[in-house]
Amino acid sequence: MKPDEFEQRLSRQPLRKIPGAWRAEILAVARAASAPCHASRVTRHNWFGTFNQQLATIFWPHPKAWAGLAAVWIFILAVNVSLREPVPRRAEKSAPPSPEMVVELRQQQLLLAELIGPRETRAADRPRIFKPKPRGGRAEILAA
Amino acid sequence: MPGSQQIERLYDAHAAALFAFLLNLTRAETDTRDLLQEIFVKLAREPKLLAGVRAERAFLIRLAHNAAIDLMRRHGTRERTKNDFAAEIISPFTPASDPDEQVFRDELAAALGELPAEQRAVVHLKLWSGRTFEEIAAALDIPPNTAASRYRYALDKLRGRLRPLYEEIK
Repeated sequence: MKPDEFEQRLSRQPLRKIPGAWRAEILAVARAASAPCHASRVTRHNWFGTFNQQLATIFWPHPKAWAGLAAVWIFILAVNVSLREPVPRRAEKSAPPSPEMVVELRQQQLLLAELIGPRETRAADRPRIFKPKPRGGRAEILAA
Repeated sequence: MPGSQQIERLYDAHAAALFAFLLNLTRAETDTRDLLQEIFVKLAREPKLLAGVRAERAFLIRLAHNAAIDLMRRHGTRERTKNDFAAEIISPFTPASDPDEQVFRDELAAALGELPAEQRAVVHLKLWSGRTFEEIAAALDIPPNTAASRYRYALDKLRGRLRPLYEEIK
């Protein structure tokens, strides 16, 4: 494909030159970076840089959407934690009651038993005895 | 230090071309400087990067392009590329003494700024680096047909935008 006049005109436009002062600065930084004493730091930096790049690849084209999603999850977790009822504490282990206290408790138990009287079984607790009734109830009515 | 000499040689051979390419992509001198430094630091740290590379320039252009795209992503400049670059005055061209020529260069710089970065990269490599579509494709890691079509689209836009001015000062 031959360039037309317009393309030729564009390609004739001279580009800006690189500032001369940059050479010394950039080469100095490059030399410092290649020095062996920086090797471990460089490795760590590279590893971190790669990790960052991977993260950026994952989260890029919609970083705000990901951030929003993360914020929503954090909000949900915060609400969940704040509304949770306090976990009932297990009965804390306490020292065994003293003998005096045991005696007193027994006395109170006896006193209570005397006040209440002999224990009766409630009607609901009694065993029900099934007594079959004559089936002739209807016949009696008829006879009367 | 042999590594140091190698870096100096690479700088002298390629830094000017990389500067122009990066400046056209980023449209910011500070970003261009950072990227250029990043590339040469990388080359200094990993001298084996260029081992076995036949076309140094193409390899470095690819490094530069990837670094520039990463930077734009980090800065979130996709929208900026479309909207704001045109408004920026940073031109990749040298100032002209002829006022008509200066107007044309300014308009060209603004029109280039309106192109998507992918198209701008292809246009730059074709027009100002004299690369073939195969070389551009290899440097940017895209198929040659894609490189050619990006160039055509970009050139149509530039032509449409600059035609009145071009006809006037031709």
